[in-house]
Amino acid sequence: MRDILPFKNMVDRHPGLIDCVEAVYKKSASVVLDKFHNPPQEFSLKDDNDDYNVLLEWDKPDERTKSALANFTDSKEAGAYGIALAAVEYSRGYVAIRRAEELTGSDYYVAPAGTKLDDLEEAYRLEVSGSELKESKVKRILSEKLEQAKNGKSDLPAIAAVVGFAVKLILVQTLEKQNELD
Amino acid sequence: MSWIESHSKSEYFASEAEAAIAEGNWEKATDLYLEAARFETQAINELETGKPRTLAITYVSSASLWFKGNDLAKSELIAFKGLSSDEILEPAKNKLREIIQTIWNERALKNSGIEFTKASVLISIRGKKIVTGGAPLDLILSKVDQVGKIFYRITEMKLNKPFRKQGLPSQDIQEQYKPWLFQAPAGSYQFAVRVEKPKQSSLFPSLESNVDDIAETFMQVIKTSVEDPDGELKQIAPNDEYRDVLLRLTRNLIPTGKVFDTLEVRAPESPVYQPIVLKPASREYINASLNAASKKDETASEKTIKISGVLKGLSLNKDYLEIDTVEDNDPKTVLVYQTGAAIDDVIGPMVNHQIICEVVKTKSGKLNYRDIQFDE
Repeated sequence: MRDILPFKNMVDRHPGLIDCVEAVYKKSASVVLDKFHNPPQEFSLKDDNDDYNVLLEWDKPDERTKSALANFTDSKEAGAYGIALAAVEYSRGYVAIRRAEELTGSDYYVAPAGTKLDDLEEAYRLEVSGSELKESKVKRILSEKLEQAKNGKSDLPAIAAVVGFAVKLILVQTLEKQNELD
Repeated sequence: MSWIESHSKSEYFASEAEAAIAEGNWEKATDLYLEAARFETQAINELETGKPRTLAITYVSSASLWFKGNDLAKSELIAFKGLSSDEILEPAKNKLREIIQTIWNERALKNSGIEFTKASVLISIRGKKIVTGGAPLDLILSKVDQVGKIFYRITEMKLNKPFRKQGLPSQDIQEQYKPWLFQAPAGSYQFAVRVEKPKQSSLFPSLESNVDDIAETFMQVIKTSVEDPDGELKQIAPNDEYRDVLLRLTRNLIPTGKVFDTLEVRAPESPVYQPIVLKPASREYINASLNAASKKDETASEKTIKISGVLKGLSLNKDYLEIDTVEDNDPKTVLVYQTGAAIDDVIGPMVNHQIICEVVKTKSGKLNYRDIQFDE
């Protein structure tokens, strides 16, 4: 029997999330998923060298929700955040502990559940992308993030996650510090 | 209060602001961002020494929150304080410099008295022959020109103008919806583009709101052109002719890898759009889409061949292109006919540049045009 991706009641386990934001992420994911699938669906989750098959459950969006979140690009990015946080919780036991703002959007910082962190020195920054395209494109997005990290554009250590909504694929990869990449 | 307490309060207000944006309540979001900014700035002062990463993240976060709360003065102050710190590493300093440049652009816009559309587009070019703040002049001129052409096409599309096959945009479009070039933060070579709003708003009263989000549409066009030209791009550009020209103009932007290898497109003011990275491989989806469209007109006996050379001349009125090429070590000039479908916006910038032209050779040896793209 497949495990269920922990996509419900995330605010109970992720200190960095609050109710209203979790709701936006869930509704956004449901709008995007609704374009391609009916719930529930089995997703393939690949985290570094580990593979999992997990069941993703969601509530079908009503017409009002679809209309309110009609900007597909916004919904794709927000929905990807919710699913990616659930994915790293499942595969690594990491939860969102903090968030920090950037000029464009915001970043979540994740760490093992139960970690008491007084700062962000050892936390992982979670970089998330969502795609509705085929598997090769989803993999290419992950490669681009790795290359950006190598070029020194990223604050490391970080975890990159790409959610392929149409192909039912979640890719997660650790972006190591520069001396570990060499 | 400790760093963690202040930062937690900041996070709460920033999250509430994000939810307000999702509801479309921008005024409430701005107030919440200001509240978040106050606590994040407090958090900087409460952080113990010897925590460089946390310090860097908090400085960037604080400057970003003041910016999102529309307090440019405080955002600038925090960003400069962060830059002056010895503890903060270079990736964070680059983000602070970017914030400062964005603030300066915003201030210049406000002081100009000119009204611009909501957002700008930032273009960055990287490669072996590109240095920080400098690049070959002809390369930059061509990219600036190509970006400008895409902006004009999108403006015409949004205003439901009949498709323009030749010539420049009409005078009223050029004067009313002028793209501007802005200085961008140093980092590779970068420039920013923003569209001036029409001065005489009564000219297109019912359609003016359609172009307010022109930067967003630009991002959508570029993104869907390389990712889903036969799917999502159709929703943004349902007209076949506009979609075709936008695909070709986007392809002109994409590097071949010979002079530079990466062109990045970002909307700095957007909380949503991640950068779009264009590399030589990004052409594949566009080429596949354009090839599929052109193959509909081919017969089974026709074969496509590629001619590599320098485009020396074109006469779209007389329906031919002139290409200097080399065949069997012999330099020669070939003429390519039936260029009726070609658009001078797309081909014009290619004159005197290395190109690859796809043609179909007829039984009589005549070369008929199918497609053309930069090869430098």
